[in-house]
Amino acid sequence: MDESLEDELKRANQERQDIVKKYVLGRKQLDKLEGNNINKWEDPDFGLYYKIDRYGFIHTEALSREFDENEKKEKEVEIQRAQKWLKMHKSFEKFRNYNREKLQRRIFKGIPDKLRGAIWLKLLQVEKQMKDNPGVYNKMLNLAYNHSTDIRQIDNDINRCFRDHEYFRERYSTKQQQLFNVLSAYSMYNMEVGYCQGMSSIVGVLLFYLNEEEAFWALHALMIEKKFAMHGLYIVGFPKLMRLLTHHDKILMKFLPKLKKHFDKQNLDAVLYSLKWFFVIFVERIPFSLCLRVWDVYLLEGERAVTAMAFTILKLHATKLLKLKDMDAITDYLQYKLNKNFGYSDNYVIKSLETSIIELRGKRMDLPPPANDVEFPKCEMGQFIEPTIEKKLGLRAECFTDSERNVTEFVIHRNEENGIDGDEDEDHEDDAISNYNNTVENSMLIRRFKSMNSLNTTTSIATSINSIPSEFNQNDLDDDDFVIVETTRL
Amino acid sequence: MSEDFDLLFKVVLIGDCAVGKSCIVTRFKTGNVFTERHTNTIGVDFSMKTITIDNKRIKLQIWDTAGHERFRSITSSYYRSAHGVIIVYDITKRNTFLSLQKWINEVRNYTANSVVCALVGNKCDLVDEREVSAEEAQEVCDLIPEILFQIETSAKENTNIENAFAKIAEELMNRQTIIGDDSNNGIKLGQSKSIREGNCNC
Repeated sequence: MDESLEDELKRANQERQDIVKKYVLGRKQLDKLEGNNINKWEDPDFGLYYKIDRYGFIHTEALSREFDENEKKEKEVEIQRAQKWLKMHKSFEKFRNYNREKLQRRIFKGIPDKLRGAIWLKLLQVEKQMKDNPGVYNKMLNLAYNHSTDIRQIDNDINRCFRDHEYFRERYSTKQQQLFNVLSAYSMYNMEVGYCQGMSSIVGVLLFYLNEEEAFWALHALMIEKKFAMHGLYIVGFPKLMRLLTHHDKILMKFLPKLKKHFDKQNLDAVLYSLKWFFVIFVERIPFSLCLRVWDVYLLEGERAVTAMAFTILKLHATKLLKLKDMDAITDYLQYKLNKNFGYSDNYVIKSLETSIIELRGKRMDLPPPANDVEFPKCEMGQFIEPTIEKKLGLRAECFTDSERNVTEFVIHRNEENGIDGDEDEDHEDDAISNYNNTVENSMLIRRFKSMNSLNTTTSIATSINSIPSEFNQNDLDDDDFVIVETTRL
Repeated sequence: MSEDFDLLFKVVLIGDCAVGKSCIVTRFKTGNVFTERHTNTIGVDFSMKTITIDNKRIKLQIWDTAGHERFRSITSSYYRSAHGVIIVYDITKRNTFLSLQKWINEVRNYTANSVVCALVGNKCDLVDEREVSAEEAQEVCDLIPEILFQIETSAKENTNIENAFAKIAEELMNRQTIIGDDSNNGIKLGQSKSIREGNCNC
């Protein structure tokens, strides 16, 4: 191994160790250390907030009285229901196997917040996993501390995960330590998935209700269990995402054709508004209280809850969305406005979600078409796959894999169909842009060949040639330019 | 169409994770809002803003991409139609600057040849933690022909944010004029079908 590479590897190792050390020590210990390197700006300003809501989120503006009233009512109802839930919790398997209807009805009404963790554990069968795999979590965590190549990315994302919540507000707080541990350990346990952005939000939500090891196995259930099967969603190339998006389009075409047409006309592809719906089950796209209710249903029903909730959001807001006249306004509405204020009560939305599931099931569209082989794990869990040198150094891989290329083509194809890149847009707005583009492209190409200097010539010339637009007319080049093209081909 | 504009350009922001791409976009779009804790961007986020240069209203479509490598298969499909690319690094994290070559390669591989490229060093308010000097950035900028200019910004303190976008927009506008002047069948601003007019058939 050449020396500089060895140095680089040492540096990467050191970097990982430094990050791990901070999480192992935690905030209290770090504060005692001199020169602990917690930058002041890593902690949000604590002086700002007025009130913490019932879920622990910090609000920088005082909450309204109405909010307080609603919370009070919700709490009262939950206390009334808690007794029934406790009973159901005791004989959960009986309910699951013989009285599913009752279980379902109650879950759609919402799991009382105090019992949410306990019921989630049952729904995901976490206790069984833990019993069957003693010691595995700690083993993976140890491995991760010494080998995981995802540590830097995980650290980056913890720094921006639920920072407006009291649990995660302080850098290296207990919850941040737990989040770090679960994600790191999982990156070793399921090395095909490793760590992917989005998983921090999933585990963040789980950690609101579960302890560290429980959250680890709950995450694993979400990845592997057939009805959730997030493994195929998170692996390189996101094969399941493509399936979900295609199915989402079909549902819109069938049930909301006017809205679909409207989106198409605005060049709005579902990729631009739905990724958080699918990857993190609506976290930060709908208010947190509603999101928890959707998670309750998701953990019972599996992915049909996601398909139907995506449909429900658009159905409930179709009238407003039809009035919005550009892409920006629509994405803003779906991504940010609905998160701040959904406009309907949680109970109403969950009722609509139930109706949507029934409606979709009636047309056999409640689930996307079945997964093919690529979406399932190929390696045994806990099996160590030697990372590439690039991964060890934390560098981006040079080439795209086949599955990555598939996604790129898939998204480009959708864009063209929806007119983002397309030339066939009716009102020829896009014609104008692409004509402009081609003209600039062609003249720039000429200039580029002329000015091509020594820097990285082989690749850049090669790629320039590959990316000559198909309409490119070689007559546009004068003789000199043409010679250059010919030489570079040699 | 709810607003009028004379020209429309697509600008894509790329760069390593957590360098502040989304903060830059939010600051540019709103002018007075800085979100201290952004969440990570999954895939691509879209927004728009119209600015005025030389009495021309220029609408910028901004595509803010996820920095995480796994999402590059999605984000790279948006490079293709971009007129401008802003590569962002964090002046307090040398690594994010060293990734530049990789990002340039992605630009070379996936964008149109005419793309206008800028290098933005964000978080320049964190003076004490600087790991990349402006001079070094300028040197690299001189070496890489695709990069037209470099600029340091602070999304937090609203330094140079508007400026960075305006410079890109201005350059794109000028290029159109140059092409118009160069060729006989040239495109003249405001008269050709090839240039998008805000008032036409929208």
